[in-house]
Formats: sequence, structure tokens, C-alpha cells
Amino acid sequence: MRKLFLFSAVALAVSAGAQAEIRINGFANLIAGKASSDDTLYGYTDDISFDEQSLFALQLSGDVNDKLTATGQLVARGSDDYDVDFEWAYMTYAVTDNTSVTAGRLRLPLFRYSASLDVGYSYHWVAPPESVYGVVFNNIDGVRVDYSNYAGDLEYNFQLAYGTLDADFVLGGQQGNVEGNNAINLTAETTYGNWKLRGVIGRANVTFDIPTVKPTIQALSGIDPAFADLLDANDDTGTFVGVGLEYDNFNWFISGEYTEVAIDDSYYQDDINYYVTAGIRVGKFTPFVTAEWNDAEDDLKFLDQVGQYPEQVRATVGQIVGGLQQQLVAKSNAYSLGVRYDWDTNVALKADVTKYSDDINEANDASLVRFAVNYIF
Amino acid sequence: MKKATILTSLFAGTMISLASNALANVVVIVNPANSNAVDNDSVKRIFLGKEKKFPGGESATPINQKGDAASRNQFDEQVLERNSSQISAYWSKLVFTGKGTPPKEVTDDAAAIAAVAADPSAISYVSAGSVTDAVKVIPVN
Repeated sequence: MRKLFLFSAVALAVSAGAQAEIRINGFANLIAGKASSDDTLYGYTDDISFDEQSLFALQLSGDVNDKLTATGQLVARGSDDYDVDFEWAYMTYAVTDNTSVTAGRLRLPLFRYSASLDVGYSYHWVAPPESVYGVVFNNIDGVRVDYSNYAGDLEYNFQLAYGTLDADFVLGGQQGNVEGNNAINLTAETTYGNWKLRGVIGRANVTFDIPTVKPTIQALSGIDPAFADLLDANDDTGTFVGVGLEYDNFNWFISGEYTEVAIDDSYYQDDINYYVTAGIRVGKFTPFVTAEWNDAEDDLKFLDQVGQYPEQVRATVGQIVGGLQQQLVAKSNAYSLGVRYDWDTNVALKADVTKYSDDINEANDASLVRFAVNYIF
Repeated sequence: MKKATILTSLFAGTMISLASNALANVVVIVNPANSNAVDNDSVKRIFLGKEKKFPGGESATPINQKGDAASRNQFDEQVLERNSSQISAYWSKLVFTGKGTPPKEVTDDAAAIAAVAADPSAISYVSAGSVTDAVKVIPVN
């Protein structure tokens, strides 16, 4: 299905080119970073790296007709050895001036900056706050309906997305995968003068496939398959809730986002993340500060069930259930200070320093300095 | 007498340069056939891609000037109330999310006037001093 979407979008983009112009736009983020001595943070070590968050991208779009547009985005990420990947490929049908339907592989509008996450030029940070934005999936294969309108000074828009999520990630040096089926996501955003308020609610049937977790689940399955199934994140309902508030009077701005991710019937810990950021625009310079927090330190789940087991297996079950959840316990915060310089109307230079503290394991504390060049054309 | 002449001409010169500074304000222009009552807010919406039609319902085609054109910065700051970098960041968000295409760009005032004169749906801006009879001026703040 996904291949078909990709193929048809590309084919349409190409055939559109036969009659109409193809618009080619691009963007690039070149980011160099170095963590404090003997530390690692966001993939950076104490050796300077240019690859971790750098990317180059080309976007091709063509109008098939008045109402239908085909768009493809090719992205080469440094973290992926600059292998080129079709990250987006979709068609948008403008039903009216206010409503459009988009189908294919597209961005899931979870956050304030989801849509332009990869376009460093569009925001003040070197990279969006990791605690909130560091989710493993940002794209969805499916459809999205966008509606936008205004009443007087009040502008508002809604985005309803439906589809499938699928993403690989690395956990403890091992490849893992997360899949979300029947994913539904509703986003509402309203702008009034200098204020912007945003709310998101989403759900999906989530399945985690993590090789390091499997043996533990299997061990429990040998004792009680039903409990093992409850503990595992296998086709369980995952929920996402997010709110954001922003004030921007063009001379200065302050904004924040709060998100909560939970998969109740699984070992996954409720994950709460939030940040506040503020900056001042002084000519071509925008100095800014950001403070962010991650809190996935919760009471262990399923302890009541553990207590009901006969004494001879209670300790083993307890170790499995507790051990698995404890691996996911996390609590940290980070403060960063940076500046953006608008070199030209399509180039920005940035620098920031981040101080990260891990409340669970102090050995993970680290500092990071990054420099970035963002370019759009 | 000579001194007075010099002073007068200096004074007059200052007046002229002051006047031309005032005239350097940008004005919004439309095709003479366009009878819409366009206010500052609708100009803003049209140039930010938030509105595709004039208040009367006819479709609107905004014509921008290139980033290095003299009128562009003034228009961005006076009418859109943001600097050109912010406008460019704003469009980058829309372009790379497939939500919009920035207005077509022309090189200078003369090209903007030509484009507006040739297209009844066009709307653009020029410095007040460049206005010709080929276009209609819309007063905005």
C-alpha cells in the first residue's frame, strides 16, 4: 500500500511536469556538535560530529490540475549516511478554499513545529527540544483533512489524520520497531492577534517489537500467557495528548508545549514532556533560551496482579514486571541558550549550548555545543 | 542676497528630500477594472496566502517583488508588519508542508505595474512615486 502511494505520487508528479511546471524547493541543515568530555548527548560524543542532525532535502511538487497537487520530498540524513529516502509523497486535493484532503505518506501533526520539523530555517532553535519532539515516528501513511478559516481576528484550523505508523529505532544498541495501526489524530489550532493556542489528541493500536524485551515477555509467558500479553505492548491502545501556547509580538516571543504519551495495558511508562522557550528579535539576531523536562517516572503498574500469584512464583513474576518497567523509567531536564542570526532571507546561522541532567542516572549528565547553518531555496 | 539664496535652496532641498521620503511609502495597487473595497487586513491575508479571494469573491493573484527590490522590505515591514526574514521563514513553513506557494515575484516597481495592468485579478505594491495611470491605488495605512 505504501509503495503504491509513493509510486503514484511520483508518477503524477512526473506526468504533471509534462503539462505544467514542477516546482523544486529545497532545504539544508548543516549542524556541527560536540558533547562535553567523555559524555554523549542526542547522539553527539566528545568528538565533533557534522552528521548527527544534518540533512539535505529536495521537494518536488507539481499541479496536476487546478485542484490536485502532487508533492514528493527526498531527504538525505547524516545520521543515515546521507542515504536518500522518500520521506513524504502525497497528493493534495483542494476541495474548497478552506478544505483540503491529502493522501500518501505525510507528516503527522503532533507538535507545533511538526510540519516544518526538518526545515531548520523555520524556527529559532538549532533543533526542536528533544524531550517533546524526540518521538520515533513523525510521518503517517494515510489521509489527512485540513480545514482552515477565520472569523474577524480569530483564525482557526483543524487537521484530522488517519492511517498507519511504522518506525524503526535503536534502543540499547539494538534495532527496535514500533507500529501503530488505526491511528487517528485530531489537531486544533487557533490564532488571535499575537496569541496561538493548540491542542492535539490522538490514539493508535500500538505494537512494540524490541528484541531486548522479547526474552523477558517469553519468560513470563511460560508462567502466565495472559499476564504476559497484558504486559507486552502488542496491539494495545496508545494515546497522545498535547497542548501548546504561544505569544509572539514580533519583537519577542514566548511559547511552550506539553505532551503526554501513554499505553495503559503495557510495560510502557506514562511519558510526560514539556518545554518553555523565549527569545527577543534584535535586528538580525534572535537570542533565545529553552528549558525542557521529561518525566517518565511513574508508580509501577500491575503490582496488584503480581500480589495475587502463589508465593513460589511471585518473586519471579515481580522481577519481570518490575524490571521491565524500571528500564523505561526516565526523568531529565535540559536548559539551553542560543542565538539565531538571519544572514539573508534564505540563510540563518545558529549556535546553542545545552546542559542536560538525568535525574535517574547522573552519569548521563552532559553538555552540548552546536553550530548550524540553515538554508532554504 | 546670495546667502539667502543658498539658505533658501538648502531649505528647499531639505523639503524635497523630506517629501520624497514620505513619497517612498509603498502603496498597494490593483487593476483599474478591480472594484473591490480592499482594506489593510485583506491585503495582509492575500499576501500571506491565508485568503485567495478579494472581499467581493473574485480570485486574487498577489504579485510580490523580489527580496532585493526596494519596495519589498518596506511592504513587508509596513503592511505585513514583519521583516523579510520572518516572511521568508513563514513561507518556508507553508512551502515545505505543501500548504501553500508563495506569490510570484517580479524584479521592480515597473514590472509590478506591468503585471497588475495586464491581469484583472492581480494585486501588488509599488513605491508611491512609481504609480502610473495603468493601475489603481488602494489606500492602506
